[in-house]
Amino acid sequence: MRIILTLLRKDFANFIRDKAAVSLTFLVPVALIYIFGQVFGLNRKDSGPTGIRLAVVNQSDNPAAQQLVDALKAEKSFRVLTNRVNPDKSERPLTEEDLRPMIRNRDFRFALIIPRDVIATRGVGLHLRILSDPRNDIETQTVNGLLQKAIFSNVPQLLGQSLQTSARKHLGNPRLDQFNGELAAAVTKAFGGDVEETKQALAEGDFGLSALGAAGQSGQQGASADFFAKVVKIENEQVVGKDVKSPEATRVVGGWAMMFLLFALSHSAAAFFEEKKAGLFQRLLSAPVRRAHILWSRFLYGVLLGLVQLTALFFAGRLMYGIDVLGNFGNLVVVCTAAAAACTAFGMLLAAISPTAAAANGLATFLVLTMSATGGAWFPVSFMPEFMQTIARFTLVYWSMEGFSQVLWAGQSFLQILPTVGVLLGITAGVMAVAVWRFNRGAIFD
Amino acid sequence: MLKLDRITKRYGTLTALDGVSLEIAPGEFFGLLGPNGAGKSTLMSLVAGLRAPEAGRITLDGRRVTAADPATRISLGLVPQAIALYEDLSAEQNLQIFGELYGLRGPDLRARIDEALEAVQLADRRRDQVKTFSGGMQRRLNLVAALLHRPRLLLCDEPTVGVDPQSRNAIFDFLEARVRAGLTVIYSTHYMEEATRLCSRIAIIDHGRIHALGTLDELLARLPFRDEISFPATPATAELAARLAAHGQIIRDGGTHRFRPATAFRTSAFYALAESLALPPRLFVTERPTLEALFLHLTGRTLRE
Repeated sequence: MRIILTLLRKDFANFIRDKAAVSLTFLVPVALIYIFGQVFGLNRKDSGPTGIRLAVVNQSDNPAAQQLVDALKAEKSFRVLTNRVNPDKSERPLTEEDLRPMIRNRDFRFALIIPRDVIATRGVGLHLRILSDPRNDIETQTVNGLLQKAIFSNVPQLLGQSLQTSARKHLGNPRLDQFNGELAAAVTKAFGGDVEETKQALAEGDFGLSALGAAGQSGQQGASADFFAKVVKIENEQVVGKDVKSPEATRVVGGWAMMFLLFALSHSAAAFFEEKKAGLFQRLLSAPVRRAHILWSRFLYGVLLGLVQLTALFFAGRLMYGIDVLGNFGNLVVVCTAAAAACTAFGMLLAAISPTAAAANGLATFLVLTMSATGGAWFPVSFMPEFMQTIARFTLVYWSMEGFSQVLWAGQSFLQILPTVGVLLGITAGVMAVAVWRFNRGAIFD
Repeated sequence: MLKLDRITKRYGTLTALDGVSLEIAPGEFFGLLGPNGAGKSTLMSLVAGLRAPEAGRITLDGRRVTAADPATRISLGLVPQAIALYEDLSAEQNLQIFGELYGLRGPDLRARIDEALEAVQLADRRRDQVKTFSGGMQRRLNLVAALLHRPRLLLCDEPTVGVDPQSRNAIFDFLEARVRAGLTVIYSTHYMEEATRLCSRIAIIDHGRIHALGTLDELLARLPFRDEISFPATPATAELAARLAAHGQIIRDGGTHRFRPATAFRTSAFYALAESLALPPRLFVTERPTLEALFLHLTGRTLRE
């Protein structure tokens, strides 16, 4: 027993001294649990996605349509956009003509059009249109569900108005007024209330169906949900990605590829420490070799390795799932190169700031997993709280995935991907500048 | 000619080299002898241009050696203390990479690789991964990798650590042959046997200072005794040891007494004293003092401390 206790003490002493092991055991799981908790809304009053940009064009002058817009604005999942900013900084209301180019330009991914004929002139029913760029399947399904909820909650009044309009067309104003008056009298006689107020409500289409609408969207009464689904005609139009051959695989391949690329390049960062330990830097630097030669050759190695790895992964995706890699291959190579450069710079920064190979590995595991999670490689960024969505924009995973999506999903041109590539190259330059500075001040070449 | 002029190097509060001055002539086999942490590797790294001194100046053939000037590095080769090779690559690939870094190309490089591998008996293993080599083979390859570009000055930083006697002798023979051909070698070690066998001049270094410098004979002449007489430490020799203390230095080394007689004390007087105590002559061994003794004399501690 004494021997076992001695060996046990030895194991704990080793563990406590191994900072990488300690961070992998405690820090990484805690960070990931926090991120997953935020995504799934644990202990959050406002769980679910937040701040999804939704453009709304209301072509109807019906007050209930405006009510629907207001309801969407009150929904925390959406950031409703109804205006666009002109080049002279003035604002004007969005029009239907603005929507498709702006979706293609990634200003937003979802738009709702409430048309002038939201209330059907023939028969009873409503008509709405949704434009989308469903580049992320989970997000798209969630947005559709949220839109349906908002529409169904506000549909009963619009539906009542549709009935009134239809009745007015067939009965004429005097007979409809008489009908509403008699109906209001019967309702107030049976249930109480003011006759004139009830008549006014009936004329505005409020037949007390909102309860049915609420029940329908909550799924408690399947029959009423079916009823609303039949009378509310939502026309969906996919603006971007409709010609993508393998949409599901195309949506996810970028995130997976990025995560594995980061792991591969982080591992190569640890090779710095192996070379130092082996005395190879001494040998190299005693030759006509400068530190800059070593750093930039390692950077180029990382970029080329990353490019080859990403290309191989995308071609594997083509072979296994039919992802269209060749359709926009030139631009894919550009994005892959920029992503590989950013990841390599990240790996070199790890080597520059870590005191040992073990520390570099631990830090790499922590950062790769958290960046993948917050950057959108595992789930949509919009599912996280807004402050984490802001953090996501500072991760190279986020911008790399943007680039892959632009190329593979949206089929964008070189000029269109240039801003994203610029951000990735900017990250590369910034991170490399810090890494080189740290390398020159640190002890890795001593 | 390599010249170090009042070189000082510090790491934080630790002074690794403290005003070291040396001159090493072309074709010398120069030894740096000192214990671990004496400043040998720091001195090597300064000469190799890997670090810059805080004070002083290093020149090689009149040209200043600095970290920012790689041109002088063509003239020197460094054999690091560690086995600085890419162990997943073959011996040939390693030599090719290091040769190319010095600007060697094509048939010339191939010829030099062949020559180097032949010289250290690794020609038949040229395509094998270095990690499959024994420690001695790796050390030999580590050595020739620094010589491929034919430098005029070779810096060997404890190049035989962990090497079997056979490989060690092979390395010594190889280096001696190169020095005979005109190569200048600075060889750092904490093995006095290596310094004694190889080096034409030796600097004894400790705590960043050169304590003594010269040929082996010149160094040993600095000792206050010429011979060292050792005998077993037994009750029978206890009285002899006590009496000898008045005539020189007596050191207890495990089960042995080492007597280092004062200059005026004659060996014949020693044996007369032993005979008077009825101790037979076969108990006594007279030896020439070693560099270890000199180091102890100069620094008050042994090379292995």
